[in-house]
Amino acid sequence: MIELLEIRKRFTGDAGAVIDALAGVSLRIERGEFVAIVGASGSGKSTLMNILGLLDQPTSGQYLFDGEDVAGLSVAEQARFRNKRVGFVFQSFHLLARTSALENVELPLLYSDRSSIDNLARRALDAVGLSDRVSHTPSQLSGGQQQRVAIARALVNEPDLLLADEPTGNLDAKAATEIMEIFRTLNASGRTVVLVTHDPTMARYAQRTVRLERGRIVADERAALQEVS
Amino acid sequence: MNTKRLVSQSVRAMARYKLRTAFMMLGSFIGVAALTLTMSVGQGVRAKMLVTIRQVLGDQSILVAGGGSRMMGSPRAGAARLTVDDIAAVAKDIPAIDGWDPQAELSGTSVRYGDVTATARITGQSERWSRVWGRGVSRGESFDAAAVASSARVALIGETVARTLFSDQDPIDAEIRIGAVPVRVVGILERFGNDMHGMDRDNEIIVPISTLMRRLTNADAINAAKLLVKDPALEEETAAEIKRVLRLRHALDKDQPDDFTVVTSLDAQKMMQMIQRVLVVYLPLVGGIALVVGGVVAATLMLASVNERTSEIGLRRAVGARPEDIRRQFVIETAAIIIVGALVGILLGYAGAQAVASRLKLDGAFSWTAVLVSLAAATIVGLLAGVLPARRAAQLHPADALR
Repeated sequence: MIELLEIRKRFTGDAGAVIDALAGVSLRIERGEFVAIVGASGSGKSTLMNILGLLDQPTSGQYLFDGEDVAGLSVAEQARFRNKRVGFVFQSFHLLARTSALENVELPLLYSDRSSIDNLARRALDAVGLSDRVSHTPSQLSGGQQQRVAIARALVNEPDLLLADEPTGNLDAKAATEIMEIFRTLNASGRTVVLVTHDPTMARYAQRTVRLERGRIVADERAALQEVS
Repeated sequence: MNTKRLVSQSVRAMARYKLRTAFMMLGSFIGVAALTLTMSVGQGVRAKMLVTIRQVLGDQSILVAGGGSRMMGSPRAGAARLTVDDIAAVAKDIPAIDGWDPQAELSGTSVRYGDVTATARITGQSERWSRVWGRGVSRGESFDAAAVASSARVALIGETVARTLFSDQDPIDAEIRIGAVPVRVVGILERFGNDMHGMDRDNEIIVPISTLMRRLTNADAINAAKLLVKDPALEEETAAEIKRVLRLRHALDKDQPDDFTVVTSLDAQKMMQMIQRVLVVYLPLVGGIALVVGGVVAATLMLASVNERTSEIGLRRAVGARPEDIRRQFVIETAAIIIVGALVGILLGYAGAQAVASRLKLDGAFSWTAVLVSLAAATIVGLLAGVLPARRAAQLHPADALR
């Protein structure tokens, strides 16, 4: 589904210093995989995720999504791509404050061309076990619940790819486990999940671990069918 | 995102940031309230003045008042030298004059019928008053030249006077007392309403001018006279003639100012235009400036809001908003806040205009023009105020905004 070829991302700092966040990354991800991208902070894993989600453009290299060169899309086409084909889950949830869970989940639908949005949002909240919290605002929800709202939001447009950037970084162990179980269930039902994390415990939920160091892939391991306790 | 969804998102954002919304509304609220108030009152005052000027001057007439060079208002004290003879001489000398009526006044005199007392404005006029002032009697009849010649004790009373003194009795032929002088009511004046100064012109009694000057006041000066001109084109010329004749009769030297005032309907129109400019142009301009200042404040607050909402903007981009969607969201949000402020301002301005109108006894102090102009101005200011913050928001890089 995803094919990255020699992706480079170069940032120029304020003092003119040049940093290669990604120094030639090539990666294939097949439909239905659950991939963890791990590495220390500054290894380029977040940059990689931004490029996968078209939140950022590579300086050079090719990004094929289902065979299509998506890095060359127009700004409007990229927006449509993010809307339809990718769901994002962030470390800090990024929910709109003072706005109900339902309205937060509806947000991607507002930018799609769908007309009946209420039902879909309710169904997505149902899927993450929050059907009894639809009118709660983020401040009335626990961290784990907020992240589940964010997952419902990521799912509501039924994307092919779920991108999660440190989704458990702000959560306690119990909530983190719940969230990871949701990802595993989603993956089991066929969704492709890419998880960015520095936490090996979370990475163990994935079937495959890609390790980044200073902008390069240094390891790409497929776990044998493993049990996670 | 379609416009309907955008507007509903804007309304939600207003509710989410209540304090900021309130501050952003303040400027447009005050500006539009001032705009609506001044335009409505201006319109009302203007309408009132137009009616009054027509009532007082008509289209082709000249008003001569005793006293100095004020265009309108009461004559200067101690300068009351205008006499009936002056006006008669003017009318005789100038062929363009078609008719005239002198007027002497006695204000606030008590009038009695039986044991009921009223206070009314008493004017003395000639038998030509009806034709010259364009007002008649609704019942009974007016007095004639013989009555004026003989200082007859007859009176025409306005409806307010009639109601106060007689309630539902018939006033015709009844005898009332003006001060100590008994006069007979011979007619009821046509209804007039309030004049420009808010004075009830139905609380008025007209008696023959000789009766007023000999029996009631014992004065020999009149307050004013109205002269009709045959042809409106001759008005200016005739006014100059009147001045010449009066200066001659009053034996004024070249360097002495007029001791009378001549007002033509043209003068009145000029004055109207001046007042109108103040009421309809300058006052709303003040409201407009307040609105513009409000717009600048709103734009600044919105810019601050964009900075605060960076992560919201990044998130919206991540879930599929185009830069265009973000831009429109902030333009519409800004405009919506300002327009809502304007709507509240229109209501307040309208309420204020009604309050002022009822104090000044104006009618029709409501102006659709004011409402439309206010709304249009607020919309333009709102859209402009939104442009800069919206552009800033749309230019944010999604990956940076989410950091």
